Amino acid sequence: MTGYALFLGCTIPARQPHYELAARKALTKLGIELVDMEGATCCAPPPIQSIDLETSLALAAYNICLAEEADLNILTLCTGCFESLTIANRILKGKRELREKINKILSNVGKEFKGTKEVRHYLQVLMDDVGVNRLKQNVVKPLNGLKVAAFPGCHLLRPSELLRLDDPERPRIFDMLIETVGAKSIPYKNKLRCCGGLLRGYADDVALAIARDKIANAYNAGADCISTLCPFCFLTLDLGQMLIKTAYKEEYNMPIIHYAELLSLSLGVAPKELALDFHKMKVDKVLEKIG
Amino acid sequence: MEEVKVGVFLSDCGGQIAKILDFEALTKFVKDVSGVVLVARGSEFWRGQGLQAIVDAVKSKKINRVVVAETIPKISEVAIAKAVEEAGLNPHLMEVVDLKNHCAWPHIDTPEEATEKAKAMLLAAIEKAKLLEPIGKAEFPAVKAVLVIGGGAAGMQAAEDLAEMGFKVYLVEKEPFLGGLAAKAVRFFPTDDCAICIQSPASLTTVTQTSRKCVYRSGLSEIPNLNVLTNTKIVKVEGSPGNFKVTVERKPRYVDEKKCVACDLCTSVCPVEVPDEYNAKLSKRKAIYVNKLLVYPPAYVIDAKACKFHECAKCFQVCPTKAVNLDQKPEHVTLNVGGIIVATGFREYDPSVIKEYHYGEYPDVITHLELARMLDAFGPTSGVPVKPSDGKPAKRIVFVQCVGSRDRRWNPYCSSICCMISLKHATMIKEAFPDADVTICYIDIRTTGREHEYYYERAREMGVKFVKGRPSEIIHDPATNTLVVEVEDELLRRLLELEADLVVLATAMVPSEDAKELAQILDIELDQDGFFKEYNAKLRPTETKRRGIFICGGAVFPKDVPTASLHAHSAAVKAAKFLMNGKIVKDLKVAVVNQDYCGNCQFCPVTCPYGAIILEPKGDGHFTAKVSELLCEGCGVCVGTCPVGAIELSHLKSSQISAQIKALLSVNGTSKPLVLVFSCSECGHAAVDSSGMAMMSYPANVRVLRVPCTGVIQVQHILEAFKAGAQGVMVVGCKPDGCHYEVGSQKAKQRVEMAKMLLQAYGIEPERLEMLNLVFIEGDKFAEAAKTMSEKVEKLGPLQLS
Amino acid sequence: MTEEKPLDFAREITGRLGGETITRCYQCGTCASACPVTKTTERYNPRQVIRLALLGQRNDVLKGDAIWLCASCYNCQERCPQKVEVADVIYALRNMAIRGGNIPAIYTEFAAALMNEGRLAPMSKFLEKKRAEYGLPPLKPANTEALKKILAATGFDKIMFRKEGAT
Ligand code: SF4
Ligand code: SF4
Ligand code: SF4
Ligand code: SF4
Ligand code: SF4
Repeated sequence: MTGYALFLGCTIPARQPHYELAARKALTKLGIELVDMEGATCCAPPPIQSIDLETSLALAAYNICLAEEADLNILTLCTGCFESLTIANRILKGKRELREKINKILSNVGKEFKGTKEVRHYLQVLMDDVGVNRLKQNVVKPLNGLKVAAFPGCHLLRPSELLRLDDPERPRIFDMLIETVGAKSIPYKNKLRCCGGLLRGYADDVALAIARDKIANAYNAGADCISTLCPFCFLTLDLGQMLIKTAYKEEYNMPIIHYAELLSLSLGVAPKELALDFHKMKVDKVLEKIG
Repeated sequence: MEEVKVGVFLSDCGGQIAKILDFEALTKFVKDVSGVVLVARGSEFWRGQGLQAIVDAVKSKKINRVVVAETIPKISEVAIAKAVEEAGLNPHLMEVVDLKNHCAWPHIDTPEEATEKAKAMLLAAIEKAKLLEPIGKAEFPAVKAVLVIGGGAAGMQAAEDLAEMGFKVYLVEKEPFLGGLAAKAVRFFPTDDCAICIQSPASLTTVTQTSRKCVYRSGLSEIPNLNVLTNTKIVKVEGSPGNFKVTVERKPRYVDEKKCVACDLCTSVCPVEVPDEYNAKLSKRKAIYVNKLLVYPPAYVIDAKACKFHECAKCFQVCPTKAVNLDQKPEHVTLNVGGIIVATGFREYDPSVIKEYHYGEYPDVITHLELARMLDAFGPTSGVPVKPSDGKPAKRIVFVQCVGSRDRRWNPYCSSICCMISLKHATMIKEAFPDADVTICYIDIRTTGREHEYYYERAREMGVKFVKGRPSEIIHDPATNTLVVEVEDELLRRLLELEADLVVLATAMVPSEDAKELAQILDIELDQDGFFKEYNAKLRPTETKRRGIFICGGAVFPKDVPTASLHAHSAAVKAAKFLMNGKIVKDLKVAVVNQDYCGNCQFCPVTCPYGAIILEPKGDGHFTAKVSELLCEGCGVCVGTCPVGAIELSHLKSSQISAQIKALLSVNGTSKPLVLVFSCSECGHAAVDSSGMAMMSYPANVRVLRVPCTGVIQVQHILEAFKAGAQGVMVVGCKPDGCHYEVGSQKAKQRVEMAKMLLQAYGIEPERLEMLNLVFIEGDKFAEAAKTMSEKVEKLGPLQLS
Repeated sequence: MTEEKPLDFAREITGRLGGETITRCYQCGTCASACPVTKTTERYNPRQVIRLALLGQRNDVLKGDAIWLCASCYNCQERCPQKVEVADVIYALRNMAIRGGNIPAIYTEFAAALMNEGRLAPMSKFLEKKRAEYGLPPLKPANTEALKKILAATGFDKIMFRKEGAT
């Protein structure tokens, strides 16, 4: 049994409990022990980085310190958290001067970043700790060739120099995991292109136009659903479709499903045990298809 | 030992400096120095009557050491040395000081102080001269034969040059045919002639001397002395410059070059087909093959990786001259050559690593070399650009420039010829197919050579479209089997999606695959990009750090053929110059190891920039350093490195340095504390010279001691200077990357840092010691720094030596 | 056209966290054609932002709307042949803009949420109830005390909440 400090972040627990629920169920079933972190704060994602990069590094480092003290590696569900924490972890491990500067800030709260722990996205944990073979053995309800438009999201892959999770131009891990649970990862146009989520709140029209493009591309490729790994992508694409309906008079009714939910379903978790009512775009068609 | 008799010749430079320096006083001072038997004063001593006076004194055996005060020592030194030698004295028993530029001019405002400094300078020269010993000459054999590695444009050129100059030449090519990359390029810019055209050898009367010929008609191999070894690679190099023993491995050709009549019967029976690399794998060839039309030697070859040998043997059976020999074995041959020229060229970078361009994944994304093969009328598509995916002619063609070049992720440099290649190919396509839609996406178009800009102009006239912008991605639309190039037209600030049948990547040019291995075998260096490194691109192009080994053409950096030829000529001349006398004669101004002190520490062998030192077993399990008299350049970097002082230079012994330090600091004559400057003989000394020439003033308490390279300076020397009375010490050397002995000034810097730490430990202010890196034109910086140092030590007050 | 020596502004940017690589840019346009936002709106072109910055057009860059339109997707940064860290440069420019008082409203909201709750998405009573229904453990509170100390040490509070225009 492998244990991780579970870093939930801000959005998932307070806005998307369906993600957390599915992830906890699936990972526990697969023998991953999750230890809830005490006192963790915001990971300091792009909005905070936009205000002050140094503050962001300090906050990320603070959270990593909590894991260092608990002697556990961090597991994140949110891709945004994964990116912020990984970047900070790798930069601070690599650059002594910056580390010293940040540690001076952390000394105010009695912490010191030591650089002894790793930050891992749950996708990596599935690949490396569980492994495709064991995962396959655990699938009791293969997803019946469900046509999934996989959307890994930007911050899973980029900046690749620091994240080093998968090939940024030809990623395979996410697709492989989708195929492992019995679904089909279909090609679609501009698959790796951003969903525009981070522009919401500043330039809603631009964000929506980008999201619409993504949904339309998946739709045109004949996807049954778009699968996400990040709560921001989810929100942008799920809620986004309601806004698209108003703004563009277009209805896609494209279910957006977190991979953790697909995984849970394939591991035999009953749909009613998941919080599927949190989806704005109904997932009934998907459930029907996988039977 | 013979008694030392010093003659001192004082030139007042035609009276120029007599107004500043008191020559009466100097003469008087010098006369009283022990060992001095003759003092003469004149207006110049490096030519005419003055020089004759020196010669007479030497001839009459009145003197056996010569000290001359003369300006610009570097020039006068040579003339005087020559005359002295002719007069029968070893030319190294001589010392020249520059009283004009190092004393009179910079101290023109303080003539009395200048005179006192001149005394110190003369004393230093005399004391050194007294310790000088004769230095002999050594002779090494130089075999008048040269190995040229690489049979492309540059290698063929260099080989031909040398063979025609009468050297025996071995031209070694790893492929079965000559021609290299150039032979695949169809046409050359800027002459638009065909790629395999070379100059006809002048030594052959059967071909018109002024004409150009294709490689295969040139008679290259018929030049007396020129031996072409194809299918051959370098295995081992032993020996030393002038006398290398090179082992090469001749891979079996399985076809006897002398018997093959190129009848082509074998290919018609050979059952094995493989992709043809010569045609960028766009077509197939048999296991036994020849590169159609463009070939030297005109004999077939069997591809050992594809052939079924005795299982089949069809070609053997059909061959009318019995040229096929399926049992040929690889053969090792040893060549004895005096020099080696590396001309291994460059190759196209594999752009599949640039994933956003999908080379290797989308068949219709190709490289220039692949396009060149298509554009060849004899090539796989008979001159028509086609889509490899379906073989249909390509009507819309987009070129992408700087693919893998000028890209910090892959190769940071500009490959320098790919803009021209694109212009050449774009115009070739437009010429043959005026309706073709050709677009070039570029960051900058670089057409820097003679006639090159006309290509650009012609391309615009012909309707080639130019988009300023580097594409971010190439996308394939499976529905239409079309490529889409995503690019910003920066001038319109508009994003374009260019549809294309064929996308041609102007791929970077990178070092040949075996460059690393070959560099190791030859013990020469590669630069940061992996190309062979020239000793000094400005002053010693085509030379390497290892004497006798030269490099040229694309092996040094990507080049077009005209430039590669030029470079090849240079390498050929260098090799010829090195070997033409059949021997190498050398002054033994070299490092000498004192075997008794040497403590097998291994510092000097790794420090010597010329690989001149090896460790030799002493028999008792220990090693001592041994200096190769041939390879040693006499820089002294090893001297500065040796922790036990076991190495010294024959031309500047430790005792001589000490004597000069003492002498230079024995007379002050100013009210200021003395500052000693160690300067190298190259840029450092030139900077001191130039400050004097420009009459930039600095105080006369600053004294200069010249050493060959600052690398020679030991921490010990610096401490000695302080002990002898210097209150400040400066070390003036070349720029770290411009050191004439590669690493000397960097090593000096390290030692200065070390000395600073020691000074601190002794309670001496480390700022009393400083290193400067200067060039000739920075005389002002030297004067400024000398002034500053002088003021600084004055302010610090007298040195407290505990 | 130039309001100050271009290099002064560039140096200020390279001296900031995230801005170090800006001067490498040779204006090839790869970032622009790689950018999902540039494809969508005329309001934004990363190459142009960098050009303006390197020409010393401080006001155009820091007071304008463009720098807020980057979606931080890092596609440009992956592909930039000069390894300009474009997305990070944009962060650096935003950091500078905010210090100059150009703070889009949404960022004030983010900052306030962070300062008060330690999280950008505060927990609601509704969600607390829902979590319990699903059997999810109650969310452990963020250590806002430590967080406030960190924000004070980096000066975050002062950067965000002070009079407009002051530098
Ligand atoms: S022996 Fe080899 S080269 Fe000759 S015909 Fe057979 S396969 Fe071809
Ligand atoms: S020659 Fe032209 S295409 Fe080649 S690297 Fe230089 S600028 Fe780019
Ligand atoms: S003097 Fe220079 S070249 Fe000669 S052995 Fe010493 S370090 Fe090498
Ligand atoms: S891709 Fe890089 S070099 Fe090119 S314009 Fe953008 S930032 Fe500049
Ligand atoms: S990081 Fe910003 S500038 Fe770069 S491609 Fe994404 S949205 Fe465009």
